[in-house]
Parts: sequence; C-alpha cells; structure tokens
Amino acid sequence: MGLDGIIVLDNIGRPIIQSGFRSSTTAYPLLHIDAVNNAIQKAASPKEVDPVLYVTPYNTVDKPSACCHVESGDIRMLCPVSGDVDPLVAFAFMQTFIEILREYFGTVSAATLRDNFDVVYQLFEETLDAGGHPLTTSSNALRDIVLPPSLLNKLLNVAGANLNPTINSGVGPSAGPFSSPIPWRKAGIRHANNEVYFDICEELKAVVNKHGTTIASFVRGKVEANSKLSGTPDCLLTFNNSQVLSDCAFHPCVRLQRWSRDKALSFVPPDGRFTLFDYRYSPGAALQNSNNPTRDNIAIPLAIKTNIVLEENGVSFDVTLLSRLSTHALETVEVELCLGEGASGIKCALARGLGGGGFVNASARNAEGSTGASWSYDSKSSILKWRIPVVPPSSSWSLKGSCTTSARAPRPSHAIIVRFEISSHTFSALKVDQLKVTQEQYKPYKGVRGRSSGVVEWRW
Amino acid sequence: MAHPGQDAKFFQRGKIEEFRAELQAAEAKDKRFVKRKTVLKKIVANITMGTDMSPLFPDVVQCLGTPLLEIKKMVYLFLVSYGRSKPDQIHLVIPNFLQDCNDRNPLIRALAIRTMSYIPIPVVTDSLSDNLRHALKDRDPYVRKTAAICVAKLYAADPRRAEKGGFVEMLRDLMLDSNATVVANAVAALSEIGDRQDGVTFKLNLTIANKLLAAIPESSEWGQIYLLDSLLRYVPERHADAELMAERIIVQLQHGNSAVILTTIKALLYLMNYMENRELIDYICKKMGPPLVTLLSSGPEVQYVALRNILLIIQRRPSVLKNDVRVFFCKYNDPIYVKLAKLEIMYRLARAENAKEVLAELQEYASEVDLDFVRKAVRSIGRLAIKVEAAADDCIQALLDLIETKVTYVVQEAVIVIKDIFRRYPGRYEGIIPTLCENLDALDEPEPKAAMIWILGQFANIIDNADELLDDLCYTFLEESTEVQLALLTASVKLFIYKSQADRAKELVHKILKWATEEVDNPDLRDRGFMYWRMLAVNPTVAGEIVLAEKPAITTDSDRMDRGALDQLLLHTGTLGSIYHKNPEASSHKANPALLLMINQTFIRNAAGKALKDSPALNPQSRAVLVPLMRTQLPPTAVNVPGPGPVEPASEKPPSPTNAPVPPSKSDLSNEDQISSPSSLQETAPSTDDKALTDPNDNDPYSNLGGAFGNYLVDAPRPMTGTQGRHGEDEDLLF
Repeated sequence: MGLDGIIVLDNIGRPIIQSGFRSSTTAYPLLHIDAVNNAIQKAASPKEVDPVLYVTPYNTVDKPSACCHVESGDIRMLCPVSGDVDPLVAFAFMQTFIEILREYFGTVSAATLRDNFDVVYQLFEETLDAGGHPLTTSSNALRDIVLPPSLLNKLLNVAGANLNPTINSGVGPSAGPFSSPIPWRKAGIRHANNEVYFDICEELKAVVNKHGTTIASFVRGKVEANSKLSGTPDCLLTFNNSQVLSDCAFHPCVRLQRWSRDKALSFVPPDGRFTLFDYRYSPGAALQNSNNPTRDNIAIPLAIKTNIVLEENGVSFDVTLLSRLSTHALETVEVELCLGEGASGIKCALARGLGGGGFVNASARNAEGSTGASWSYDSKSSILKWRIPVVPPSSSWSLKGSCTTSARAPRPSHAIIVRFEISSHTFSALKVDQLKVTQEQYKPYKGVRGRSSGVVEWRW
Repeated sequence: MAHPGQDAKFFQRGKIEEFRAELQAAEAKDKRFVKRKTVLKKIVANITMGTDMSPLFPDVVQCLGTPLLEIKKMVYLFLVSYGRSKPDQIHLVIPNFLQDCNDRNPLIRALAIRTMSYIPIPVVTDSLSDNLRHALKDRDPYVRKTAAICVAKLYAADPRRAEKGGFVEMLRDLMLDSNATVVANAVAALSEIGDRQDGVTFKLNLTIANKLLAAIPESSEWGQIYLLDSLLRYVPERHADAELMAERIIVQLQHGNSAVILTTIKALLYLMNYMENRELIDYICKKMGPPLVTLLSSGPEVQYVALRNILLIIQRRPSVLKNDVRVFFCKYNDPIYVKLAKLEIMYRLARAENAKEVLAELQEYASEVDLDFVRKAVRSIGRLAIKVEAAADDCIQALLDLIETKVTYVVQEAVIVIKDIFRRYPGRYEGIIPTLCENLDALDEPEPKAAMIWILGQFANIIDNADELLDDLCYTFLEESTEVQLALLTASVKLFIYKSQADRAKELVHKILKWATEEVDNPDLRDRGFMYWRMLAVNPTVAGEIVLAEKPAITTDSDRMDRGALDQLLLHTGTLGSIYHKNPEASSHKANPALLLMINQTFIRNAAGKALKDSPALNPQSRAVLVPLMRTQLPPTAVNVPGPGPVEPASEKPPSPTNAPVPPSKSDLSNEDQISSPSSLQETAPSTDDKALTDPNDNDPYSNLGGAFGNYLVDAPRPMTGTQGRHGEDEDLLF
C-alpha cells in the first residue's frame, strides 16, 4: 500500500499544501502536479480527465508512477502512487481525508486550508505514514491528538493562555489517546442532552427511453446518523419493513453477524455525524425473492413529453413536465437540455399547465410571482437549464422555445436530464420500528426524517 | 502574533536571519512559549512552500527541550524534513530523542520513535534499535502500533541490522496482540518487508491466518485492508480451509468502504482457486455482484476503478453480474472514461438473452455528441453481431440505419465492422454491398477505406462494377497510406483472378503491381507486389487458390484474456495493473511504449509479481492454467527466523519453481469452462472452430479495441506463440 503522499491544489492548479514526501525526491510531487495540470489543460473539460493518470519518471532510474486525483469544491486533491497499489485505497483515503477536513473546518475550500495549514499539516502526519500507510482516520480518535481550530483555542492562544489538555502532562485518568477499546469512539464522552437523529436519504437514478419506458431505475439510500450520546451506548435499530433493503454496506461499528441473523442493526455509534449504512431499495425482493437489481422497476415520479424539431440551423423545442405524485410536491426541479455546440439566440416561454390546484399552488404563487420558474443558458457548455422551485402534485409545466445553431445540422443531446428533490418522502417507505439504547441509564431523544432526490435521464 | 483566521500571512517568505533572531529573542521572557510557537509556525509554513530552512537546524533543535507537545511536533516536523541532510549535526538531537522515548506521554514516545525511523543515518539508527525494541512492547497501543510501522522503516534503512536485532520476530509476535490496530500495523509492516526484493518471505500458516481473521471486525478500515490483503500470503493446504476462510470473510462485502470491498473480493477470488465445493463457489460469485454494483453509486473516480476491475472479474467468473447488464448502461452525463469502461463491460455481458436491450442502448449511444464514444459504440454493434449470432440480423439492420444518417465518422466505423461481419457469417449479408458502395465517397480515413477495398476485392465476383470502383480508388494510389495501398494491391489481384478475361482488370492489376514494385519505397508493399507478380506469372490458378483461400472464421475469443494471465491479474485486483489492462487514452498499447514499460515494471520488476501457489488444495481447473512466478533477479536471502511462526524461514525452497519449464500459456478456454461452471457455457463465444487459427490475434480485428489483452500476454514472462495445440504435453512437463 504505498500512497506516496497527498497534494492539495487550488482551482488554478497551484499547490496549497502537501504532505511530506519523504521516500522520494523533491521533484516527485512537482512532477505529479505538472502531470495533472497538463492533463486538465488538454482535456475538453476538467471532468473528463482520467482519474488515474500515468506519470512518466523524469529520469530512467526512477520508477514510473500514477496519480489519482479528485476534485472537491474549489480544491483538487492529488495522491501519487507508485508500485502496485490499489487506486481505490487512494480514492477512499482522499474521500476520508476530505471528510475529516470538513469536520475540522466546516467547509473545505482553498481559503480555509490556507488559514489552517498547521492543523492540516498535523492531520497529514497523523493520517498518513511516510511509507504510505493510512493511520488514524477516525475523527473521534483524531480529535485527541490534533486539536480542531475552535474559536476558543484561538482566543486563548492570543491571550497567551495555554490550556491545551495534551501538554506534557502525562496520561490523564481516562483521556489518553487510543485508550478507548473501540477505535471509532473515544472513551468518556459526556453530553448534557442525549440525542440521536437519523436521516434516511434516498436517491433515484433512472434512464427512460424515447417511448417512455423505464430501462433502468435504481434507488440507493443511506441512513445518516447524528449521535450525541454519553458513555458507551449500545444501540439496536430495527425496521418494520427491512425486506426492502438489499445490498447493504455498513459503517464499521455495525455488527455484521447480527444483521445477517435477524436484520437488526446492533452498534455502538461513533460520536457525531456518520453514515450508518447505505442500501439499495428493492421492492421486488420481498415478492419474488430475486436478487436482480434490473427488475426493480421503481415508479418515476414525473413524466416528460418532448417535441423537439431539428431544422436547418436551428432547433425548436417544446418540453412538458408532469408530476405523477399525488401527495408530495417535487422541489427544486432542474431540467437540463444540451443544445449542441454553437447554439445561440435562445428564446423560451415558460407556462404552467393545468392540475395541482389547492393551497400548495396558491402559496407557490404568492411566494414566487406567477410561477417561480425560470430558465438560463450557459453558452460555454451549451446547456439550457429550466428551474422550477416547486412542482405541486399532478401539475404540469411547459417550456417552449427555439434556438439557432451555427452548424447546419444541429446535434442537440438526445437526453433531457431532470433533477428533483422531495422532502419528507422516501421511495422505499422504510420505517424505523424502534431504537433501543442499552448499557446506559438515560433515555435519549430520538428523531427520524426522510428525504429523496432523483436524477432522471429522459431520452427522446 | 497569531491572529485567528490570518495564519495565511505566515506564508510570506521570511528571511532565515530574521527567524533566527526571533528564536533567540524568544528564549528570554517567553511566557508559555507563545513566541516560540509563532516563529516555529512561520518556519513550518516556509517548509511547506519549499523554502530551504535547513540553515536554522541548530536553532530549531534548541526548542526540542520545550515541554509543550505542539512545539515538539513542529520541531520533529523540521527534523523529518532536514534530518537526513544534516548527518554532522544530528548528534545534537540524540539526547532529546532518548529523553522523549522515555516520556510519560505516549504521544511523545511515539512521535520520537517515528521521527527517528524517518532519519536513516547510522547514528540515529543505532540509538533507535534499543528504543524501538522497548516501544514494540510498550504498554500503550498507540506506541506499539507506531513502532510496528517503524520496523519496516528500519528494515528499509538497514535490512541486516533489523534481522539480526530480531525485529521481524517481534513483529510476528505483535500479530497476536490484543489490540486490532496493532495487529493490522504489524501485518502492514511485514507485508512491506515481504514485498521487498531482499526481504524475508512473509507467509501465513492456518493458525495465524485465523488469528488475523479474528482481528478484522475490530480494525479500522485500513487495518481491514491490510489484514484481508495478507490472506493472499496464505496458501490453503486443504479445500476445507479455503472454504471456511471464504465463508468468514464474505461478510466484509457489506462494508461501507469501497477499498475494503474490493480487497475482500480479491481475497475471495484467490481462495476460490483452492476450493472444491462448486455450490459454495457459485454462492460466492452470486454474493460478489451486489457490492460491485454498489461501488458504481460512488463518484466517477471510484466507478472507473471498479469498472476496470469488474471487467477482469467477469472474464474469470462469468456468472458474476451475468444478469445485470442494465447496471452498466451509460448515462448521458457520465464522464467519457466511465462511458468507455461501461461500454466494454456491456459487450462482455451481452448474450442472446439480452442482446436486444444492449443493441438498443448501443444505437442510442451512436447518436450522441462525443465523437470517440460514438465510434466505439458503432464498433461495439459490430462486435455484438460477431459475438451473438442470434443478434446478427438486428445488428446489421442497425448498422444500415446508421449508414443512412450519412454522418461521416459513423459511416466509416460501420464499414469497418461490416467487413468483419462478412467474414464471420460468409454468404449471409452480401446483399447489403450495394448500400456500402453508395457511400464510398464518405470514406476518407485509411482504416475504413482499406476495409471497403477489401470488400470490393473479396466480392469482386458479385459486384458488377468492382473494376470501375477500384479503378477510381486507384487514382490516388501513390498518396494513400500503406494500409490502403496494401488493400488495393490485394484487391486488384483478387479482381484479376475473378475476372481474368476483362481487359480493365488486367490493366488495373498491371498498373498497381508496377507502382507497388517500382514507385513505392515501403518494403512490405514492394515485396508483396513482387510475390503476387511472380505467382500470377508462374501459375494463375494456384495464385487464385492462395489469394482466395478460405479464410479462418472470425471469432471474438481472442479478446478474452488467457486464463492463466487472468488468474495472475486477479491477484492484482484493485491495483494499477487492473486499471491499465487497457489504456483508455491510447487506442493500443503498441502506440504507447511508455505504458508497456510501466506494466512491465509494475508486474515484474517492481511488484515482485504475484502468482498462484501450488498446494494440494489447488483445484484442477486452476492448476491447469497455473503460471509459475518468475522471480529470478535476486535469490532469496538465507535468513533463518527461528521458532515456529508465520514467517517461514527463507531458506525453505520458495514454492514457485524459478526454473521450472514454461507451462502452457494458452489453455483451452471452452473446455475449462465446461468443467468449471455450467453458467459459463453460454458465455463461450458463438464461434467454435478457433482451432483452425494459428495466431488468433491476427485474425481478430478487435484485439486492439478490446482489452488489448494481447499485450498482457506479451508482458507475461513466458513465450506466447504456438502453444495452442500442445497443451497436454506441457502439462506433463510441469508436474
């Protein structure tokens, strides 16, 4: 496992900070920065750059290497690897590291990293060993050895006070690092209010062909937890309809044997936010006992009708969006149509069709003028975006327009991409039966919420 | 002074002298060391920017006595950066090191050990040895786990000292530690040592392997990766051992970390080679599918790595994901590298049952905007026709529809694949030739042009105006690329043989032969020209028999990877090797010598290679394709590690015979599959008579487009050609 190190670049490709590359020459990280920047420059868009780049050595003695890189906000993280290394370890590590940064600084951006470079540097030291071994990445344990930059700390520093608990004071009664027998939870956590919250988030991804038939649709969900429980609580979470869950992937804290036995989640949670598990929703699993994700056939909560006419030097389009939901509203709906290179002179008319009356409609009207819908066009990517903040149940909306293209035969994309969110709704209707907390005396406050989102590719 | 949120200003380049003065000033009246901390912070900021701060060495080292962890950390950071380059001054720090190694705070003890191990200077290594020995037995697990990794560092700096000092044995003992993280780090260190060319061999026996398995549930995800990965160093002696172990780790497929999932799959694939129970193998195959699909819901980078690995896995174990082709349908906004990887898998998973769906998707892709993707989609339609006979009619219709669009590059790709379909199904689709001829003018690239010329020549007997068309194409003969020139030469000879009475054909062949032999510099073309000329002159009938001889049928078999090579590659599941079995940028490895070089190095020189090891439990199917590991560069050093334990004495003969006869490289795939899994029967490509082929790569037009697997075969350390028929006798040699 040789992850040679981590380099963080800002959005114009300049290095912000890098871990110490101790087993290599100083030119090595520079070589990788150049390789990534060159590849981005050459590619049509940064998104299209291969995530694993081959990097030629600058002299014949050195081994060739590869550079794994991901973008996150306005930074790009690079992980050079040499030798026979699993690139997934690199990607998984970078993902984890970004999560840690987010937890430490709230947001991950070039500015926050510059401001807190000393903390980032310490984090590099603690999370990645010079031989490329990931070390401590559980934020619960990290907080013991790298202090997060809290406002209080900074103030105390300025005031010259030093209340740092890890000053050379030896091992405290219980607070020694890694004294906890559970790697993801530190010992002796205390909260004034004991609370635990679960968010069930599901995302639908679907492709619909031009005849309106769904050719692929999958719902993946995850349960995000926020635990503020004192001591070492042992939780047991059970569901009413656990048969809708399949292909689950769990946080290390979940006892996998117990789940295999009776579909109950038994775990000692880490403190704070974490993803308890993710799963695929399979409505068919209960009925036909098949393990086949292609037969899921999840109903898509909207329909699109298109009438797109290709003319010489132009396209005229008429898109209608219809909500198929009867109780919930679709929110922050975004419809994307790529008009093809060189499209210009966009004219659009938006309208609200029939259906979906009632007070939802009225409130939307009050809040957002007539419809609240809007459109915009990005000439760089040739993407026309149509946004509707709220689509009430069974309402219909339309977009009519035209554009001119520089090419004689316009080539707009043959797919319309629709994104949407639905609050207080899950596709699977997964229902928590109960949460039992044992090993501790208190009665915690518990909460569960659901929310869904979706990306549908509608071909025409 | 440090103001909150304004640390960025530390990045201003400071002057060495300034810092030195500030450090000296800080020695006096530094309440709670705030001044020192600020200066050190500035210095560290400058190190991260690449400014050389090494002249400050003596001054910074002074601060090491400060009893404040934060300051110690920064000084150690400084030492790690510049210690190596200051062998003459490093002795100044040794007393501090020794003091910190005995500090009450475990963090400081670990920090000191770790920093020392980063400075491979003899005087440091000397004082490290003793302290490291203590640290490995420290009562605090944090110190023990740090020390374990440091052993690997010490080994890298001075292998003989590490061995003499008994550190390897101490690591071995740490594998039985009560703390899972310590166990995992000991395994990581042993693996690192074992991967070195000069390292002791790291193998596991059943007892230790089981102990490691028990540590998995309590380890962090990285620890789990080390532990699972180390299972590949365990060679099961009985089927039951392998089966039991697989059953124990299968639960890890439900882990949330993608790297853990892939490592688990790698271990399972490895163990399967040693299993006997078919039902269990099938069960595991079934269980591997869903987690692989789960990986596809991650970001595009993880998806890409997963897809490249899936491509390998489904070739070795065709029942995995057999019914899941829809999962791999491309989304319009997938990045291009994901789309291309998905396309390849869709083709592999295509069978008669799902060919219709796949074809419909491919047709959809052929109308997309991205040029490269459209071309690959059109080619895939052709490959589908060749692979799945039942879908051939539909595919041809789809290709004709695409030609109808008159989009130049679509037409060109379609022509290339149709040529191969003609060869695969002789006498079935020649009726569409007139349609192709109508689009002759659209062809402006060498490959489609050559393909079209081949069609004209091959079917000159049924194309009435073949002579006319070829004559037209000849006008630019001297400007054409060699590929087209060769095609024209052969086509004109075929035309002449078909229509030897026609004056025009005679004239044409004469003209081209003259050009080829007199005007062209390319030796291939000239030689072929001479050869045809001589043949036609000596005996035109025999020439006809040769030129129009029955062609070996085309198959898609050869773009499947050879089983032995696959087994080897699968041991590298989730490594760079599994990514680069095809380079997504270059259309062919041949075009990219740098890449070839890299594969050679990652597989042979650098990674020391991995190969299945023989054992009584190895099942016959895997044994049949066993490829011994060629690790000849360095003989294993004779280091005796006394006592029973997982680290077997290196003096024992390594299980892979380094000078064993070269085994069969080409297994009979279809036979094997019949034995190994009934489900793979449908997977065998429709064409059966590949026995007729002497060198499949020559006949297969897709060896470039496909996985470019031919190159792996080249990379594998064994001869490639002519082994097809000699399977049986080679096997005797091996065992």
